Formats: sequence, structure tokens, C-alpha cells
Amino acid sequence: MMRKIQLPFTQTQKVRYERAIERLQSLSSTANSDASVIVTDTIPVNHEDAFLKGHGTSEVEGELLATVCGVVERVDKLVYVRTLRARYKPEVGDIVVGRIIEVAQKRWRVELNFTQDGVLMLSSMNMPDGSQRRRTSVDELNMRNIFVEHDVVCAEVRSIQHDGSLQLHARSQKYGKLEKGQLLKVDPYLVKRSKHHFHYIESLGIDLIIGCNGFIWVGEHVEVRDPVMIDDQKDDEMMISSSSTKEQSHTPLETRQNICRIGNAVRVLSNLGFTVTVEVITETVNLSNSKNVGIYDMIGSEFHVLVAENEAERRRQKRKK
Amino acid sequence: MGSVKRKSAEESSDCAPPQKLQREDDDDSTQIINEELVGCVHDVSFPENYVPPAPSSSNGDNKPPAKEFPFALDSFQSEAIKCLDNGESVMVSAHTSAGKTVVASYAIAMSLRENQRVIYTSPIKALSNQKYRDFKEEFSDVGLMTGDVTIDPNASCLVMTTEILRSMQYKGSEVMREVAWIIFDEVHYMRDSERGVVWEESIVMAPKNSRFVFLSATVPNAKEFADWVAKVHKQPCHIVYTDYRPTPLQHYVFPAGGSGLYLVVDEKAKFHEDSFQKSLNALVPANDADKKRGNGKSQKGLMLGKLGEESDIFKLVKMIIQRQYDPVILFSFSKKECEALAMQMSKMDLNSDDEKDSVETIFTSAIDMLSDDDKKLPQVSNILPILKRGIGVHHSGLLPILKEVIEILFQEGLIKCLFATETFSIGLNMPAKTVVFTNVRKFDGDKFRWLSSGEYIQMSGRAGRRGIDKRGICILMVDEKMEPAVAKSMLKGSADALNSAFHLSYNMLLNQLRSEDGDPENLLRNSFFQFQADRAIPDLEKQIKALQEERDSMVIEEEESLKNYYNLILQYKSLKKDIREIVFSPKYCLPFLLPNRAVCLDCTNEDGEPQSFSIEDQETWGVIMKFNKVKNLSEDDDNKRPEDANYTVDVLTRCLVSRDGAGKKKIKPVPFKERGEPVVVSVPLSQIKSLSSAIMNIPKDYLQLEARENALKKVSELLSRHPDGIPLDPEVDMKIRSSSYKTTVRRLEAVENLFEKYKIAKSPLIGEKLKVLHMKEELTAKIKSLKKAVRSSTALAFKDELKARKRVLRRLGYITSDGVVELKGKVACEISSAEELTLTELMFSGVFKEAKVEELVSLLSCFVWRERLPDAAKPREELDLLFIQLQDTARRVAECQLDCKVDIDVESFVHSFRPDIMEAVYAWAKGSKFYEIMEIARVFEGSLIRAIRRMEEVLQQLIVAAKSIGETQLEAKLEEAVSKIKRDIVFAASLYL
Repeated sequence: MMRKIQLPFTQTQKVRYERAIERLQSLSSTANSDASVIVTDTIPVNHEDAFLKGHGTSEVEGELLATVCGVVERVDKLVYVRTLRARYKPEVGDIVVGRIIEVAQKRWRVELNFTQDGVLMLSSMNMPDGSQRRRTSVDELNMRNIFVEHDVVCAEVRSIQHDGSLQLHARSQKYGKLEKGQLLKVDPYLVKRSKHHFHYIESLGIDLIIGCNGFIWVGEHVEVRDPVMIDDQKDDEMMISSSSTKEQSHTPLETRQNICRIGNAVRVLSNLGFTVTVEVITETVNLSNSKNVGIYDMIGSEFHVLVAENEAERRRQKRKK
Repeated sequence: MGSVKRKSAEESSDCAPPQKLQREDDDDSTQIINEELVGCVHDVSFPENYVPPAPSSSNGDNKPPAKEFPFALDSFQSEAIKCLDNGESVMVSAHTSAGKTVVASYAIAMSLRENQRVIYTSPIKALSNQKYRDFKEEFSDVGLMTGDVTIDPNASCLVMTTEILRSMQYKGSEVMREVAWIIFDEVHYMRDSERGVVWEESIVMAPKNSRFVFLSATVPNAKEFADWVAKVHKQPCHIVYTDYRPTPLQHYVFPAGGSGLYLVVDEKAKFHEDSFQKSLNALVPANDADKKRGNGKSQKGLMLGKLGEESDIFKLVKMIIQRQYDPVILFSFSKKECEALAMQMSKMDLNSDDEKDSVETIFTSAIDMLSDDDKKLPQVSNILPILKRGIGVHHSGLLPILKEVIEILFQEGLIKCLFATETFSIGLNMPAKTVVFTNVRKFDGDKFRWLSSGEYIQMSGRAGRRGIDKRGICILMVDEKMEPAVAKSMLKGSADALNSAFHLSYNMLLNQLRSEDGDPENLLRNSFFQFQADRAIPDLEKQIKALQEERDSMVIEEEESLKNYYNLILQYKSLKKDIREIVFSPKYCLPFLLPNRAVCLDCTNEDGEPQSFSIEDQETWGVIMKFNKVKNLSEDDDNKRPEDANYTVDVLTRCLVSRDGAGKKKIKPVPFKERGEPVVVSVPLSQIKSLSSAIMNIPKDYLQLEARENALKKVSELLSRHPDGIPLDPEVDMKIRSSSYKTTVRRLEAVENLFEKYKIAKSPLIGEKLKVLHMKEELTAKIKSLKKAVRSSTALAFKDELKARKRVLRRLGYITSDGVVELKGKVACEISSAEELTLTELMFSGVFKEAKVEELVSLLSCFVWRERLPDAAKPREELDLLFIQLQDTARRVAECQLDCKVDIDVESFVHSFRPDIMEAVYAWAKGSKFYEIMEIARVFEGSLIRAIRRMEEVLQQLIVAAKSIGETQLEAKLEEAVSKIKRDIVFAASLYL
């Protein structure tokens, strides 16, 4: 699984890099290479026994074939193929980060690196004032007050329709528009589903949202405020005042540097093909700080090698335990 | 005919409804809103640190009411509506008939005006259907969602079952973002042990900004519930409580075999004890033989009546009709009894010809939608003649459509006499003039018990039609003696408290784990269960403190050595007791319990004063007359060996005879030297201290006082010669050879020697000192147990169980070690109507894929059927094979749970899956007619229909699950299964829709 990296390595860097990767490979125990298949490969199953064929498989003339490239996974009698390096494959309950590409009738379309655009209905979004009511045509006209094209949003996968289209929803106030930060795109398979995808790195004052679709948001921390019921008239005033304050407040330089540092850490990890988790990201950031690597130098070849070596060491330590 | 029978209830002076003025002004979070209130209590729970919003002039006050009612509102209704207008949650606790629906419909009208969504949930599908119909007529923009039907889910007002609401919350339905008001009807269902937890989940998970209307029967702890809602949702919650009944009730007793009614509680809620006694005296006790056989199971008099005589129930109904107390609802506690009673009314005709015609018209048009075969079902064709005579039956075993027809006929007044089970007492307003309880005992799974006052209140709530009757009448059919206190607490007791019945389920855990915000621990922390546990702590701590102070105030000199002495005495006593138990076990002592043997009795004062602590016991002497075996009323003693039975011994001894307040004779043996009458008393074996070897020569006639006096004289003569009474030696005379006897005796001797070392024993007042010490020790023990209770409630309730259940999920591969839900877990998330783990395991083991569609359906029936049928045939081989697979899987799941320390009984879990209707369901899936499958399974029609409907629900959930793992063939197969079972009478639409 060695990735080709287009980086101007010096000779020593190359040797160090290759050695680190070698060590990583020897540490990884998932060596069942026969489990990986490409399209139309036959998946061996015991036909006398009942089996369930899951995603990425199809039965053709009594044989079970793979319809995607990936790794064969088995859960009891269920056989399915987990794809590698493909587009994002959504599951209900995933946290995703996406970009609005269209404001349509009662809905926004969201780019998610999925085969189709995600759909975020107006009714699936919380009202800005937090009131609980049916959406009116006025709300529909004011949709652009909530999101416009190119806004970055965060949402949860609500359901996958029969036709494969994806419905999103915002379960609580912490979902919604993301501002003052960077959007990074990595391969979806580098993101593992975990208990939490929202992270607040307190020491840096940074919010980190690792979307399951491989879109990662790094931005200034915002407090999730409980919405308060406000009268309609006051509400309008609030909208005006809040938009005016928005322009005034700006992100301090230090925070912006932190955003860039974390962003570059993610880039390095993505280049190296390492799983992106909040622990690895913070470790990479700490490494860059301890080695006094400048933000820009983080995407240089030397730091890549350092990270690879560090990761190899980390996994070795972990293994020992 | 009894003399205290109701003479002129109708004519007696018209009394105003009991209006109570109650005020509460205790803690600071309580505030009285309206001092002038009559008939209801209004209270508010505020969350902690709540700052009330400044009263905005634009809000509420100048708005016209969202809905006007054509009648004057009762005070509790207008109070509740005032809260709604202020936009605050309210809990309305009142009797069924009081008119809580007014509050609900106002909340709906208000939400519709504000363009907000409103959800109305009820515990029962049938009730949802009825409410849907009512609201649809009134508001038109109404939808319905139950497991069976979905109508217009985009409507602004949605009527649904609470289970649907919960699944919408887990799925993050958009409705949850639009709902401003959630109305929970019959919220006291929360105490239901199986389903109650659903209410807690959906209340905890409700959107932050929504407001609630809780409608509940009268519950004494409504305030506690409101406090919980206020805490969880950080909003004020009002309580409007009233125990006002629009029509006051009179309670009568009808004794079995008697012929009249006895007024026991009048409309002013006064209990007439004399009248109650008279009713009991009129009770003709059932034949002893009958009693033994029936064991209270069914009242013989009620069911059969003596040959040629009318049964009690017939007499009673006749009386009710004669006095024009109809319509009447007669509650009984089993479906079978319900039917049997109705059959006894065969000679009665309560409807005029016109009414008969209307019954027939309504009936035939209602069953018109059924197929011809279904119309010929015995239940359908048999019931019409009964209905035409104005008699109805209503229980869960009926076909749903018949149930609805009967409800409609009852509401139209075409049924004068309805035999119903308890289920009829909840839900839609269907009052009668009279309610009869055919039984005062109810079988609750393992034994018969008296009806609780809460149940009585709920059922008697059906008596009295508002605006028609001046008063409602409740008649209690009593067939056995009953203490006035029991009757009083049943008839006049308070309503049952609303207590949490929270428990964990795997489906709940997985759904909580799946969503980013969800956290099962959070749910537990916010549960009503935890709230109630937390609330008890300060009280317990107060108790502990008081007890500790009391203990510390007791000062005893030389406590250390006294304590040692005290312990030694305890030891001595327990050893003595052990010895006595061996010696006087029936096995050894029965041969020696001869008449005229002198005997030494223990007559230590047991009740009242604390026991004395001297080594010497108080004793007395007497003469044995005979011994008896104690008969337990219910047990079949004959099977027991004579050694194990209990015995009492009749002893002639000197006794103190006194009379207590109630005039009861109290006989107590007293020491021989004291004054007393010579009386024969019956004492348990354990009270005998020792047997003398002397057998007196006493004449057999004891009837004369003199003879008895003489006998005792002889005993005292014996004692004067031999002060110790020449006791029988256990080893030598009674031939007790057991080794435990010998060791105990040896230990006793050792202890006796130790006594001499204690100087303290000689000190004066030792008895008093020991008494004080004893009290102190008891206090310490009490404190210890209280402290334990506090410890267990401060910890998060269910914490250990949560851990264990998570362990199960990890071990079965449903979640990862970090608590991320895996594929299997996602499947189990979708299954909420059946045992999720077993079903998921079966699915992943490929059983469903292999089986034919009909077999698959048949297998699923085991998940929804819990009843054991006595005469169910074993299913055919291929079905049995599947069933065995199911049992194996269930056993594996249960054993895994046991390994993970979940409290579970493997065998009872495995046997909770019943194969009894597999054949019937198989036939149904094959396309059989309903009457055909009814011949296969001998069960109530309604139960079978409910089971098949529930299966359809499970199938729908499985379809979603199959889709999520991408198994399209299985999905198609499940779809096919649904289409095979969803037909004809089983899925006939409700008449209310």
C-alpha cells in the first residue's frame, strides 16, 4: 500500500522514508492480501451454506462477483466488499462536511464527494432563532440568509433514498454553517468512523470537524449557544446586529496560524496516506512545534519524512504495549 | 332483601360536586397563581436558576383565544389553558371523565394558529385511531401515524403512538424541528413495566424548545413529575390537579348469594361501616368444596348459580335494569370470564324492536367490508344476536372490527349492558351510568390480590355520564369476607403514584450510541428513574442523621465489657434455640407428646416490651392435652411427610385472660405462681421448653373449672417435690443421636462457663443496661442499611447494567471497543418491535435467506407470540427445524449475556419464544382463509390478529435493515412476505378512519 509521493526527496531522505514505510508495513498485521479484490473477481463462498451478499457484490451465474475494488469483509454469513480509495460511501448517522453548490426550492444541494449531491432540506435545518414551527414561503424566500452558494456546512446523514440520493439534516445547533477556517479534502478512507467527529482543541482554540466524507474543517472555535426564543420583531433586529458584528470581529493572527498549522498537518498525513484522527493530528502539530518547523515548511519533504518516522515509532510503541 | 338498600338515590337531595380548596405554599419553587381557585390545585415547577422572561405585552394578552368552547370551562380547564396561552408546559392530572381533552384540543388549535406542528401521542393504537377521527372532524389538518397505518404524515397535527414518536426522534425526522407542542395523553402509562420506558425516552429526547401538555389520570406525585420535566428541559412546567368528578359516585356492595345492594360509600365520600358489615353478613359463603376446587379462581356463584336458580350476575343485571341504572359496564379480569358472563344473559332482552333494527343496520354496514368468508366467522355471526338484545362484550380477544362496532353501538346507547375487561377503562370517553366489578380480586401473574385503589379509580371513572346522570353508581360484587379496612382502602384510597419503570434495551443503547450527540449515560442521568432516586437521598440522609444523634445520646458505662457480655448472651440464646430446635423437631418429640405429660412452657413476653436479657427465661408449667397438625389453607399437606408439617400442642396451663379493645379474647400463659385461670391453650412446638418425664394421672374431663384447677394442683405438687420437673433427657430418654446436637451442647457448655468471667453481670441494673445497649445496637443496624440505600442511589442508576450490556454488544460484534456502532449494530438499531439481538443474529446467520417466504413468516411469529397454548400441536418438521435454530440462537445470545453479567435467566429467555402459532401463521402466509387458521390455532381471534399485525411491523423493520446491509434479495423476500400476510380481515381498516 505504498503511495507514490511527488516530493523532491534528497537521497538520505529517500532512504529514511523507505525505511520508515518498511517498518510500518512489517508492523501492520492485516496481511490477508487474497481478501482484496478488483471488479469481476470471484469471491469464494460456500454455496451449500446460505450466505448474505452485501454491498459491492453481485451474483452472476451462480458465482459471487465483486462489483467494486476493495477488501472482502465477512460478518457471520454476510459477505461484502469494502472499497478503498473510492468516493465517499455514506451511512446513516455519519457526520459530513460539505459545500453548498446550489440553493434550490426548499433545499440546498451540497457537494460531499459522493456520487450524487447531498440534499439538505430547509425543514431539516434548524431555524436561526431556534423556534419550532413549520416553514413558510417567507422562510423559503429567506433561505439565502441561512446558506448561500460556496458556504461550508456540516450536517449528519439522515437517510439514503431508494434512488441513492442522500438526505442530510442538522440534529442540533452545532451543525450548520462553518466560518473562519479552512476546508481540507482527504481521501474518505483515511477517516475512520468514531464516536466523535467534532473536536475542540482547547490549547489552540480550534474546532476540528473530521467529516466522514473526507472533508475536514479546521476553524476558529465557536461556542454553541442555546437558541433563545425571541419575538419576531426583535429577531429581525438581531439578524441585522449580528451580521454587523460579524464583519467587525476578526480572527486573531495566532488563531489563524494555528488553523494553518493544523491544516498542513492534515495535508502531510493525507500525503503519506495515514489515517486521520484527532490524536495523530495533534501529535503531528506538536512534532512540528517541538522541531521548530515553520508552518510553510511543514509541507516540505523533510517534515514528511519526520512524520513517517514518528508514526512508525508510535505504532511500534503501541504494539509493545 | 337487605334493609339498608338504596331507597331513593335519585330523589335524594341534589348535592354540589365535592369542591375542594387546596393550597400549597411550602417550598420556594412553589407559587400560587390563583388564590381564588375552586376545585383544582395549580402549581408550578421552575428549573434551577430560572429567570422568568419579562412579561411582554404583545404576547398572549391581546390575542383572542385560539379556540372558543360552547360550554363554560371548569376551573381546571381554564387554568390549564391559561398556561398554554402563556406558552408554558402543563401537566393536567384529573379523572378520566373530567374533560382533559379540552386542554389538548386547545393546544392543537393554538399550534395551528401559530403555524406550528403539534404531536398528539397516545399509548394505544385503537385510541390513536379514535382521536384521529375526533381531531380530523374538528381541525381537518390532521395526520395519523401508527404501526399499522400512516395517513397524511405532512399534516400539522400528527396523532401517533409514543413508539412512533420515539423512532422519529432517533431518526431525526424533520417533524421534530417543527413541533412546538407535544401532547402526551395518558402519560401515567409511564409506569407500565414493559412500555413505560418509551415515554421517558421520548420526553428526555424531545426538542429543546418544544412545550408539553401531559394528560394523566389522578396521580399523587404530579408535582414530582413536573419537577423532572422542568429540570430536564429547563423550562417551567405547570401542574393542574383536580380530583373533581363531574358526576359524583355512589359505591354499593352486592354480596354473593345475597339479593340486595348496600350503600357503602355515598356521594359525599363517606364510608358507611355499618352498612358494609350488613352486606358481609348477607354474604352466602360459597360451598366449601367449591371453594377448595376453584381456589378463588372463578366465583362459583357468579358463574353457575345453583340449579334452577338465577345466577348472581343475572339477578344483579335484572335489578339494574329494573331500577333503570343502565347502561351498565361490568368489568371482569379475564376474557373467558367476560364471555361466560355474557352467555348467562341469554334470557335477557333489553332492546326494543326499533333499537334492534338500528343495531342490525350498523352491524351489517360495518362488516360490509369483510369478505364473505370472514363474515361467516363464528365470532362475527354469533355476536349479532347478543348485540341485538342490547348486550355486548368488549375485550382484546375480539376481532378489532367487532370491538369497534361494539364501541360505536355502546356510544349510541344501543348496548345497555357491556361485559368488558380492564382495557375498556382507558381511552375515549365512553361512560355508563353504572359500573359493576364482578370480582374484587385480580390475578396478577402469580397470585390473586385485591384490586388496588388506583385500578378501582380508573375503572370506576367510567361511571356517571356527564350532563345526563346526577350520579354514577359503582357496584362491587363481593363473594368473600373482606376486612372493612381493605374495602375502605380500595374504595377510598389514593391513586397510584407515577413511578418510573425505566429499563435498558439494546435497541435503545445502539440508537443512542449511533448519533453523535447521543449518550446512553446522558439518557440515564436525565431519566425520571434517576430523578426519583436522587430525590429520595436528602430524606434518607435526614433519617440517618436523626438516628445517629439518637444513638450518640445514649451513654452507657463500661460499654466495652457490657458489649462483650451482650454478645455472649446473644450467642448463648442462639445456641439454646438451636438445641431446642433439634430436640423439638417433630421427628424426635412427637412420640413424647403424650396426653397428661407435664410440660414446661416458655412464656417470655414477646410482644410489646423489648426482650429481657437475663439468662433466665420466664417459664410456666402445664399438662399436654393433645397435639395437632397445622393445616395450611392452600397447601396440599397430605403430600408432606409428617415430620415436616407444623404442629401445635394443646396445653392446659395457667393463663391470663384479658379482653382487648375490640372485644377479642386474649389468652396468654403466665408463670405458674402468678394469678390466672386454668385454660387449655394451643401453643406452637417452638414454645415448649422441656418435657417432663412425669405423666400425671388426671381425669379426662376438663370441662369443669375445678377439674382443671385440680390438674394444675397436681403439677405444682410435682414441682414442689422435683423443682426441675424431672425433664426428659434428650440423649438418654429421647434417643437423640445427631452429631450436630452433641456439638451444640458442647459449645453451649463452653459459653456457660464464660459467663462467670463477667463481673459486670453481677452489677445492679444489668437488665436495664442491656436493654439500652440492645436499642443502641438496633439503631446501628438501621443506620447501616440506610447508608447502603444512599450509596446505591447516588451512583448512576443502571450503571452496572449499562456496562454489562455494552460488553454484550462488543462481544457479539455490534459495537467496537470505542463504542462505534458496527454493521450488525446498525441492523439491530432498526428493530424495535421484537427481540433485536436474536433477530439480528438469525439474519446474519443466513436463516432468513435459506427459508421459504412462508417459513420465514412462520418463524417470525415466535418473536411476537408470548402465550403458551395448552393444546398446541408441534409444528411440522421444516418449521420445527427453523424453530430449533431460533432456540439455539436465542440460547447463544442469552448465554453471552449471562457471561457478560447481565441478569438473565437463560432458559426462560429461550422459552419466551413460543412456536404455538407457527402453523397457523404458515397457513395464513400460504393464503388460507381466516376461519381456516382459526381452526389450527385455538386462540382468541383478536390475539391472533394482533400478532400478525405486529409481525408486519417487524417485517417492515427488517426490510430497512436488509436495505442497510445491501442484501437486495433478502429485501425482496421480506417485501413478498409482507404482501402475503397483509390481506383480508387481519388488516381490515379501522372503522374510525
